[in-house]
Amino acid sequence: MSEYTVINSRAVRVDTPDKATGKAVFIDDMTMPGMLYGALLQSPLAHARIVSIDTSKARNLPGVKSVVTAAEAGLVKYGVSPARYDETLFCHEKVRYVGDDIAAVAAVDMETALKAVSLIEVEYEELPAVFTIEEAMKAGAPVLHDNYPGNICAEVHSEFGNVEEALADCDLIKTTTFQNKRQDAAFIEPQGCIASYDLSGNLTLYSSTQVPHYVQRTVAMVLKLPVGKVRVVKPYVGAGFGIKASANPLELSACLLSMKTGKPVKMNYNREQVFQYGRARHQFTHTMTTGVKKDGTIMALKHLCYLDGGAYSSFGIATVYYAGSLLGGPYKLPNMKYDGYRIYNNKPACGAMRGHGGVAARACWEQQLDMIAEELKISPIELRLKNMMVAGDVTCNDLNMSSLGMKECIEAVKDGSEWTAKKGKLPKGKGIGMACGFFVSGAGYPIYRSDTFHGTVIVKLTEDGGTALVYTASAEIGQGSDTTFAMIAAEALGIRLEDVRLESGDTDFGVDLGAYSSRQTLMTGHAVKEAAEDARRQVLEVLAKELNVPVENMDIKNSLIEFKQGNVDFTGLRTRYSKEHRGWNDNPADGPLTFREASRIAYLSKGSIVGTGKYKPPELGGKYKGATVGTSPAYGCSAQIAEVTVDEETGQITVDRITDAHDCGLAINVTSVEGQMEGSVSMGLGEALFEEVKFDKKGHVINADLAEYKIPTMLDMPQIKTIIVESNEPNGPFGAKEVGEGAIMPTIPAILNAVYDAIGVRIHELPMTPERVYLAIQEAKKGKTG
Amino acid sequence: MLLPKFDFHEPKTLNEACQILAAYGVKAKLIAGGTDLMVNMKKKILSPEQVISISRIGELKKLDTSGDSIRIGSCFTVADLSTSDAIQKHLSALGEGAKNLGTPLIRNLATIGGNLGSARPAADLPPALMAYGAQVVLNSLSGERTLSLDKFFLGPGFTAAKPDEILSEIQIPSLPPHSGAGYINIGIRKGQDCNLVNVASFIALDTDGTIRNARIVMGCVGPIPLRASSAEKMLIGQKPESALFARAGAAASLDSTPIDDFRGTAAYKRDMVGVLTRRTLDIAFREATHRQ
Amino acid sequence: MKKLINLTINDQHYEVAVEPNQTLVDLLRYQLGLTGTKKGCEMGDCGSCTVILDGKAVNSCLVLALQADGRSIQTIEGLETGEGLHPVQEAFVEKGAIQCGFCSSGMILSAKNLLDQKSNPSEIEIRRALAGNLCRCTGYQKIIEAVKSVPQAN
Ligand SMILES: Cc1cc2nc3c(=O)[nH]c(=O)nc-3n(C[C@H](O)[C@H](O)[C@H](O)COP(=O)(O)OP(=O)(O)OC[C@H]3O[C@@H](n4cnc5c(N)ncnc54)[C@H](O)[C@@H]3O)c2cc1C
Ligand code: FES
Ligand code: FES
Repeated sequence: MSEYTVINSRAVRVDTPDKATGKAVFIDDMTMPGMLYGALLQSPLAHARIVSIDTSKARNLPGVKSVVTAAEAGLVKYGVSPARYDETLFCHEKVRYVGDDIAAVAAVDMETALKAVSLIEVEYEELPAVFTIEEAMKAGAPVLHDNYPGNICAEVHSEFGNVEEALADCDLIKTTTFQNKRQDAAFIEPQGCIASYDLSGNLTLYSSTQVPHYVQRTVAMVLKLPVGKVRVVKPYVGAGFGIKASANPLELSACLLSMKTGKPVKMNYNREQVFQYGRARHQFTHTMTTGVKKDGTIMALKHLCYLDGGAYSSFGIATVYYAGSLLGGPYKLPNMKYDGYRIYNNKPACGAMRGHGGVAARACWEQQLDMIAEELKISPIELRLKNMMVAGDVTCNDLNMSSLGMKECIEAVKDGSEWTAKKGKLPKGKGIGMACGFFVSGAGYPIYRSDTFHGTVIVKLTEDGGTALVYTASAEIGQGSDTTFAMIAAEALGIRLEDVRLESGDTDFGVDLGAYSSRQTLMTGHAVKEAAEDARRQVLEVLAKELNVPVENMDIKNSLIEFKQGNVDFTGLRTRYSKEHRGWNDNPADGPLTFREASRIAYLSKGSIVGTGKYKPPELGGKYKGATVGTSPAYGCSAQIAEVTVDEETGQITVDRITDAHDCGLAINVTSVEGQMEGSVSMGLGEALFEEVKFDKKGHVINADLAEYKIPTMLDMPQIKTIIVESNEPNGPFGAKEVGEGAIMPTIPAILNAVYDAIGVRIHELPMTPERVYLAIQEAKKGKTG
Repeated sequence: MLLPKFDFHEPKTLNEACQILAAYGVKAKLIAGGTDLMVNMKKKILSPEQVISISRIGELKKLDTSGDSIRIGSCFTVADLSTSDAIQKHLSALGEGAKNLGTPLIRNLATIGGNLGSARPAADLPPALMAYGAQVVLNSLSGERTLSLDKFFLGPGFTAAKPDEILSEIQIPSLPPHSGAGYINIGIRKGQDCNLVNVASFIALDTDGTIRNARIVMGCVGPIPLRASSAEKMLIGQKPESALFARAGAAASLDSTPIDDFRGTAAYKRDMVGVLTRRTLDIAFREATHRQ
Repeated sequence: MKKLINLTINDQHYEVAVEPNQTLVDLLRYQLGLTGTKKGCEMGDCGSCTVILDGKAVNSCLVLALQADGRSIQTIEGLETGEGLHPVQEAFVEKGAIQCGFCSSGMILSAKNLLDQKSNPSEIEIRRALAGNLCRCTGYQKIIEAVKSVPQAN
């Protein structure tokens, strides 16, 4: 039995009845009076100098209201990390990938806008292009950005402890190289927005974004508007997974076009443009050398990584850091050396995607740990149990495990999958494998260097009493954050969930850094809790005065006021409340004093009751360069076991079952936590088996659709057994921490290890398509016979 | 995703359709389920000036198993093929192809005629149909002709149907006793996938149990679905057994002419032809031993 | 040139003028304001535009508005009854089968279409019937649980 009345339950989500009936409004469901339609002119070439742009024919087309290029947009540089602002709204001197934005048009309808785009004449001087890391790093290779010679967008070099010394003392040293492929988030709702500029100079942008706050700042900066004049509102969003976590050219173009025309402007990406814009998971090439003692104790990790970055930085600097720092846990690792490089080339930029930076690294390492376990004749589970950290441990790179249910997770999946009965006992072609993972619960620092609060929240009680309005700028993008925060507010105030109404995703509600780095439950959650407690305190203080009862002797539960000591006569208050509502037939007549009455009385005495809350992470460890990437107030962790069948003649893999345990601190909404775990597994399974964005020799995405870019369908997914582990995180609201991204970490390596168990062949490159698996089996056979 | 502009016609009879088609010739395109044509028009691969819908022509939607051949109207949907008991009973390999085509939503629109008309080398229905020895009936104002499906496909997107011809019906000769067929397709994932390789095999046994007739058809490994003629020859007159099927698979591999593309290498496809040929022959043999 | 068509949507009769190159999904969304039907790909790949056309679930992005002339269409907006949510909608809400919700309209209609044709479908039947509806959020687990939990007539 839970000690809580609202949280830690399976409360039905507040947004899903609307979503089940088609009433929920997503961006493309919106229209505005006089709305224009915008379209982009995007580069057909991967690398070219722009010699001239002639927009006159487009401008003269009837129905066209505005045509903008870099000449109109200005050349303010923007991007994700201020240290690498390397984009301008439109290309001015050159284009750097197929799809780079050159101009935008607003017209009375879509057909006219597209026609106008086709009438813009651009003269290009084609430049040699580079599409791979090898090409981009070759001496004399064409350079994408003049100030980044060698096309090195970012490099990281760090060492904690002394790796060479430690390796010299190891009994077993293992080196492997592993590569994943460029992934696409493949959310089902393409990006879209409507910008509306009014006559007083206020700009409102409705957008399918995960981060209204960052979009607001970028729009203001690029279009040179005061931040206070820019409002960003997020309707319901058809998921983002990281790709919608920064301002995009659609949003900026729509804003500029609306400012030019004084009309609302709607813009959308079609599916092909979603792929062309990219910004999803990088291709990582990891080479790892791990040293262990005979008994399996992990001593050192030497790690080299190259990221295929694409044409711009996007989130890439954070990505290259994360790819190294997230191996600090969840195992005790005293010595760790990391060299990471992110390389520019003429493909769409890569960015952040679920499990930012850590997914391929985790896959590489967890597979390597299994190889080590096998050589040492230790079970993979034993090896992990032996090395894992526990709450209170600090990693060599200063990440503090304030809670860590790693052991519980491992044991839960071991039991839940009947590992002992299966491991080593399955017929050939069937296999079982396990892996662990861990992830941050919110980035410790904002993307721009700042002392800002990461979240501010307002809880306002309706003046007539009874309902708490929660205003947060956080972003519900499908993960269920609105429900989570409504539940936290209800719990902290002591009222029922149905007595809370929550509004989110609007920059007018305050600051919230948004839905990325698995931060909202912990960070926004704290701010919600604080705001709700503030409102609660104010109500109780008024009651204390009115009834002459100390605040400590009162409580609010289930929307009722509880008096801890004896009977308190509140008939005077009740009468006052009833007088305020003459003619109403549902005034409380008998029974305990209600929150409705209490909050009305509080209003009568103080005016509107407004509670405020805020959150900023405490001072976090790590003073070295790059310490800001990876530090977090808390870390979630997980373990998974995959069971697979491999058709050795065709190479086809069937994942039969996944058992998944995740430590989320405390599950505010149990169903939502499971939902994140299950969704993570499917995304990991897709990356493991099918997904790869492919390019032709000219830099066009070949498979820019959901037919040839293959995400799992219902027939590809196994039954997933989810087990929630609750470790009660001291830094989390009510003990809660992340689940949104960490849950993906073990999926790929668990499948890799299961496939090895099934066929006895290690695969070090994703995706494990039938052909790749088949070839690996053939190679191994040749090796044996020849 | 705007479609190009076109005029739309929706004739009620085959004859009316033939008239409209005759009037516009190459400027017109037939639309049945639209699941192929609409995608091609959205991608601007095709921009016909006239679109003629044949999906309301009742006479094109029938399935007739009463005579000495099974006759399927060109607008019979893939969904109906996949659930029809008659198809399951007589033409299980075709049913298997239908079950594996696209998605349930696509199958509810897609037609058998459209699947042949699209002439995709990876299409799911041609291998089984060719293995069963199907013929197509082509209609135009000047009359009707039948053509073996073996001669229908000319290349990706191209068929032997003339610009004024409509494929009205697919005819499959009734199966002899002791005959059977199998179909297998493989892709990257299990749901909704474009095939990497697909193979259908048909065998008919003599009373003494030897193989009297065999047809093996391979998709995705040539510009059109291909017959594996040397594998077929190898089978005829032999006693069916797994070693023979394996050798036939190897022969079919050599009969195939796959190319490298972004979906897979020629070498892999070639090897898979071998595996699928053997496996479909196994299924065909099992069915043949049961069919009276 | 626009042509006049007659069709029934959610039991209501409509007479509308449509362009030959207009798709059914665009007619529903932009002309009739029935925005519950979504567009995720416009190529038949995702299923978010699923509607039930004369009793069959189809991708409305692959159907011309003109082809719907004289036909009967059910969209997500037509599922609710005076009594409240349709049992399939209810099950999706109860079981947590909806996250971002962008696939949900299509998913629910495919599920309803399945249950209309077959009561108590097995898990594999559910997986086959809903394989044309992509969901990137849920991993499908709770969707299957929801479909299984829908109370059946007998
Ligand atoms: C998401 C998706 C998945 C798919 N998956 C598969 C798959 O797995 N396997 C597969 O084989 N196909 C697949 N397809 C392709 C397509 O659905 C099938 O080929 C289908 O059978 C086409 O039938 P249709 O009636 O929709 O064709 P339409 O699009 O109506 O027509 C296709 C072509 O044939 C011509 N045509 C149609 N009928 C006739 C006729 N009677 N006479 C002469 N010409 C005619 C048309 O002019 C057109 O050129 C898929 C398509 C989509 C969109
Ligand atoms: S929008 Fe129709 S299937 Fe994706
Ligand atoms: S709930 Fe988001 S795509 Fe299904």
